[in-house]
Amino acid sequence: MAFVLLHVSLLAAALLSIPYFLGDFAAYQFGLYLIYGMAAQGIGFLWGKTGVLPLGQAMFFGVAAYAMGIALRDVDGLLVQLALGVAILLVIAGFAYILATLVFKGRSDSGPYFSLITLALAMIAEQLSGSFPNITGGFNGLSGFDSLAGLDPFGSFYYVIVAASVGVTFMLLVLDRLPVSLIAKAVNDNEPRMQLLGFPTHVIKGLAFAFSAAIAAIAGGLFASHQGIVTPTSTGFALSAELVILTAVGGRFHVFGPLLGAVFFGWAASEFRDSFAYWELLLAVVFIVVVLKAPGGLAELLKSAFNKILPHRTKANITTYTAPPARYARTSESLKFDDVYLQIGVVKILNGVDFETPKSGIVSIIGPNGAGKTTILNTITGNFSVSKGKIQLGTQEIQSRPSYGALSVGIGRKLQIPSVFFSMSVAENLSIAMMAGRARTLDYFKLSTLGWRGDGLTKILANPTVPLANNIEKAVQFLPQGHRQFLEFAMTVATDPSTLLLDEPCAGLSPQETMLMTELVKEFQDTTDGLVIIIEHDMSIVEAISDKVLVLHQGRVLAYASYREIKSDPAVQAVYAGDTK
Amino acid sequence: MSTILILNIAWQISTLALITLGLAIVFGKLRIMNMAHGEFVMIGAYAPVITSSMGLPSWLQVPVCILTVALVALILERTIIRHLYGRMFDSLLATWGVAILLREIIELIFGRGYQSVNLPIPGTYTVFGTDYPAYRLVVIAGIILAFIALAWWNRRSKVATQIKAMVGNPELAQAIGINTSRLSAGAFVFGCTTAGLAGLILAPTIRIEPMMGLDYLVRSFFALVIGGLGTLEGLGVGTTIVAGTQSVVSAAFSQTAGYLAVLILSIFFLWLKPDGIRSSSR
Repeated sequence: MAFVLLHVSLLAAALLSIPYFLGDFAAYQFGLYLIYGMAAQGIGFLWGKTGVLPLGQAMFFGVAAYAMGIALRDVDGLLVQLALGVAILLVIAGFAYILATLVFKGRSDSGPYFSLITLALAMIAEQLSGSFPNITGGFNGLSGFDSLAGLDPFGSFYYVIVAASVGVTFMLLVLDRLPVSLIAKAVNDNEPRMQLLGFPTHVIKGLAFAFSAAIAAIAGGLFASHQGIVTPTSTGFALSAELVILTAVGGRFHVFGPLLGAVFFGWAASEFRDSFAYWELLLAVVFIVVVLKAPGGLAELLKSAFNKILPHRTKANITTYTAPPARYARTSESLKFDDVYLQIGVVKILNGVDFETPKSGIVSIIGPNGAGKTTILNTITGNFSVSKGKIQLGTQEIQSRPSYGALSVGIGRKLQIPSVFFSMSVAENLSIAMMAGRARTLDYFKLSTLGWRGDGLTKILANPTVPLANNIEKAVQFLPQGHRQFLEFAMTVATDPSTLLLDEPCAGLSPQETMLMTELVKEFQDTTDGLVIIIEHDMSIVEAISDKVLVLHQGRVLAYASYREIKSDPAVQAVYAGDTK
Repeated sequence: MSTILILNIAWQISTLALITLGLAIVFGKLRIMNMAHGEFVMIGAYAPVITSSMGLPSWLQVPVCILTVALVALILERTIIRHLYGRMFDSLLATWGVAILLREIIELIFGRGYQSVNLPIPGTYTVFGTDYPAYRLVVIAGIILAFIALAWWNRRSKVATQIKAMVGNPELAQAIGINTSRLSAGAFVFGCTTAGLAGLILAPTIRIEPMMGLDYLVRSFFALVIGGLGTLEGLGVGTTIVAGTQSVVSAAFSQTAGYLAVLILSIFFLWLKPDGIRSSSR
């Protein structure tokens, strides 16, 4: 945190020295760049972390500016004006939240489409603000109001802007180090995994969007007071585009990037726009080059240059804390399929699956390719909605719920191809898994949450043959496939599931690693007395660990019994020997 | 409905269909979210301005338009677009920069002011008892014929399949003998050139200015979203809905209402049916 304070003080000192060195008029101009920079920082947070690109951010900026202008014109008393400002801010954030959650609900992609929706909304806002001259002053704009508290826009109002800019930067820098920002990044990295870890990702995106909208609205309110006039262009397409360009060129992955972009390009534009005819052209070319070659923007370039001079310090050891218990019931229940059908398009995948697992133990699912094994797991976790039939966990019906609801009834799942957060380190992956199903709202804002450890995870990490503890600071993208399998297994176990679903956990593992994995699975079942459902092709593993074996064939249960009985079942033998039954 | 409204709708639909065709190839097939599509319409519309300022005969408008637009598109494809296949988000951003670039260049050459050009076919025809500009009737008929020819060609040609293969798996497509870099460049240039031709056709009926492209981009984009990517029928359905809504609402209320109606309609489609009107699920 000392680092944050240093950064913020340096920023404040630099900004406060501007009127002194460059004069009041320069300060007035810089005030405008800082306002744009603030809005761009909001975009940077949303886009750089969650990957959601807002193309209509000026809508929030402009609406807040209009509202602030009207409040300054028609309402007396600073406190009332400020209260109105806060109310506007909340309305805008609320609108943004509802918009994003509605659009993102039930999807784990559609990023570009959301961007286009925000773009269309900004175009609507621009059109509407020009169409009601009684309220907004029409295309001539809204004017004739005083600055906030009567401060001179060419003088003391600059310090209000500096305070807001420093405040927003401070807040973003702090957030950057807290678990909440790790969660936001994880959504961008691997959204299906986040959902399986029980995070409602549309809510996370909605919150991030609302936050960025609120920052844009603060900037818009300051803009009205600073400029003394608001026109429809402040709500529209062109400003939205410019803010995105400033964010991209400045660097969306760093808190200072967008601010740097806005201030630098604002200053450069005022210097060169009149003397250099190709200025806009140059800006467009720079933007294209940044998109193609340097997605991190100026900030990333500066940072890597800086790191060359002052090499990055290695992180200190992680301090661990005992995690609170998971919030769902710890007693495992039997899982029951009751005549489950699944059809996607014209393809019938499950054709009346019926079985009931014991309350605890290990059930293996085997069957030829295309038998519907992975689909069974997909219907349990809610990745697929069943066409017909019921799935019960104990007495609860769990079919056709969203996949982020699976963990809340204690279902944890490891996917067939290791699904982890590839842009992060092993430690960060484990931190996110430890937060799943445990963290409450406040925990996302505490540093100690990042060091959470639970019994299940500690046991796995303490095992010297598991290749995780030694690689804890390594980025996952540099881990070999086998290590990723163990990481995903550890993450799934870390959530303390009462029902553990494993999809070919030994795929791509060496014989030694396969042995280790089977031991870990057995150990998990022994210590938790939970239910494990595992898809496996290797019959020696199936024999070694299964209490019961479920044989699937063409979307139906062919046999469901102990391994020994399955082995001697003529129907099963016929399928595996290639007889067309 | 009066005959004139029906003919106006037919004019709007056919010209929008021609603009959307190019985007259907570039966005629907190549998966480049081309935010500069409207700028190609704009450049095409400037072709008559170029010929008249150079004192060339007016029949040269068509070759000048095709050559200019195709050359610009080819240069852009070779320098910028070819880095963007398979990067949809980046393509959106980079082509946004391209759009600004093209607008600025045109502005530097021709200035910011409006330009206008004369109708190549003056006069009116009488259709069902109403006088209607002959030029528009010729254009509507021409575009319908062109689309019929295109549908016939599309059914016989392998190019669409090759493009699909290339976008789906570029390396495999190369391995089976598809020259991917030539194919993608060709498709991009073709898509942009149809947009340029649409601009040339529209030029006598509109005010020509550097910022005019955005409106066409928005409508053709939303027509594609509504109709669904990938098929000619989808393109027809989408353009009919967008141009129809805009014409009818504009006629009934105001120009602004028509514009807003298209935007609101598009938001609902982007939200609830991002794969187009004919997709079954949300």
